[in-house]
Amino acid sequence: MNQWEVFVSSEKELVEDTDLELTIRTLNPGMHKFTYKRVKCQVSADLKKHADQLQVRLGRGQLSNSRFSIQVLDEVRRMPAKYL
Amino acid sequence: MAAPRSNREFIEACVRSGDAVRIKQEVDWENEAGAIVRRACELAAPAPFMEQIKGYPGFSYFGAPLSTYRRMAISLGMDPASSLPEIGQEYLKRTNGEPVAPVLVDRKDAPCKENILMGGDVDLCKLPVPLVHDGDGGRYVGTWHAVVTKHPVRGDVNWGMYRQMMFDSRTMSGAVFPFSDLGKALNDYYLPRGESCPFATAIGLSPLAAMAACAPSPIPEPELTGMLAGEAVKLVKCETNDLEVPADAEIILEGEICPDYKVEEGPFGEYTGYRTSPRDFRVTFRVNCITYRNNATMTISNMGVPQDEGQLLRSFSLGLELEKLLKSQGIPVTGVYMHPRSTHHMMIVGVKPTYSGIAQQIAQLAFGSKLGPWFHMVMVVDDKTDIYNWDEVYHAFCTRCHPASGIHIYRNTTGTPLYPFATPHERKYSIGSKVLFDCLWPVDWDPVNDVPTLVSFKNVYPREIQDKVLANWTAYGYPPVK
Repeated sequence: MNQWEVFVSSEKELVEDTDLELTIRTLNPGMHKFTYKRVKCQVSADLKKHADQLQVRLGRGQLSNSRFSIQVLDEVRRMPAKYL
Repeated sequence: MAAPRSNREFIEACVRSGDAVRIKQEVDWENEAGAIVRRACELAAPAPFMEQIKGYPGFSYFGAPLSTYRRMAISLGMDPASSLPEIGQEYLKRTNGEPVAPVLVDRKDAPCKENILMGGDVDLCKLPVPLVHDGDGGRYVGTWHAVVTKHPVRGDVNWGMYRQMMFDSRTMSGAVFPFSDLGKALNDYYLPRGESCPFATAIGLSPLAAMAACAPSPIPEPELTGMLAGEAVKLVKCETNDLEVPADAEIILEGEICPDYKVEEGPFGEYTGYRTSPRDFRVTFRVNCITYRNNATMTISNMGVPQDEGQLLRSFSLGLELEKLLKSQGIPVTGVYMHPRSTHHMMIVGVKPTYSGIAQQIAQLAFGSKLGPWFHMVMVVDDKTDIYNWDEVYHAFCTRCHPASGIHIYRNTTGTPLYPFATPHERKYSIGSKVLFDCLWPVDWDPVNDVPTLVSFKNVYPREIQDKVLANWTAYGYPPVK
């Protein structure tokens, strides 16, 4: 199980059971903790629906009480290839 | 006492004087180190030198490097007990001289080249990048550092302290305001052409190099560092671009600013004492090379409520640079001071009120200068008011500033997105508002019959009575006054 975190302005951005594109950061322990990825994913308020867990922070870093499960469907590469 | 020439010499000097403590036990990069620095700032305690970082053997942290005037005095090679006006006079003396050009050294003489990571080895997570505040948008690589760039046409070098968040192993994003030197270069040149801007981030600078990077001086920072230190700063060429960086810095990140790609940055606790600016897509830095010293020390500034170096040093240098500017225009200022607790938002100017409109002239120069975006209040008091004594300044403000004619508001000026009071729209577009508090008696008032007399011990009693009372103070039964 992986743990992820997302920053949103409103939890309404986290529409359940729909393909979403989110920038999420890993909360898994280790040196890469808090690094980001852009992903396609689905989220659910049912914590058992997906294997990974997602916690939510709001616009100024406030930790939301809401928790979601998340399935990362694919990684989205935004960076132009010339920088890779 | 000579000015410390490196971050390491500075730490040793601070430990010797009791202005830094060595923390031997392991600290966590995730929140714990930041919390130690924050508490040290709020208590004005010695700077923490954290020698063991969880998961990062061989690295250390030095926090709150210049968050007290004592450490600022040490950085200049002065007695730590020097008063603020003494430190200010020394800064003015050194920075009014001739610029001291830097010298270029060979890479074998540059400690920052002791370890070099390039290509697939580049990973910012190999450095102990701290999570400074819980809830920040990321781990911040740059909180007390210099982002080195060179103007592509003019060739002038800029060292600026632009916050930098680690986005992934090779990418950082940061807040670069459009009115800053780097912001202007990006908007004037690189972005319209779609060209990458080479950069280098130097972390763990000598304290005077950091002071120069923070100072809004027209003198290029390498020369300004040399003026402050009294000797040339040593620079070395980068590995992957033509920039030159301080040879004794602890860590160097080299790379390019992407003109066509942005990632999210923030939120981040800032010098105003708030997380003000929202998460947004900001200037993005791609890292191509990391070099660092053996046993490198990462410097951490933890900005928040007063007082940290974001407020203290910026207040110090903004005030003194404005004093230079006003004096260059022939205005009879007697001093300029920003109290750090104003989070460098209020400029207090002492002046001999020799002609009408002098407060307006001061405010227009101050707000219209390159310094202007960083503060939004100017308070002008007369030369009899001690600008360093908030009790006197506050009294002058509350009693001499006419509520109808002494407060002047300037709208639609340049501001910063970090103003906590600004609307979301104003923050997004760096729109500011400014205010002048004119606390001078009008010059067309009769000084004998119109100007009120200040009723104070110093002002209403004859000198001989004051001397007698002072001489007999303990004899009256009072404890001595320190």
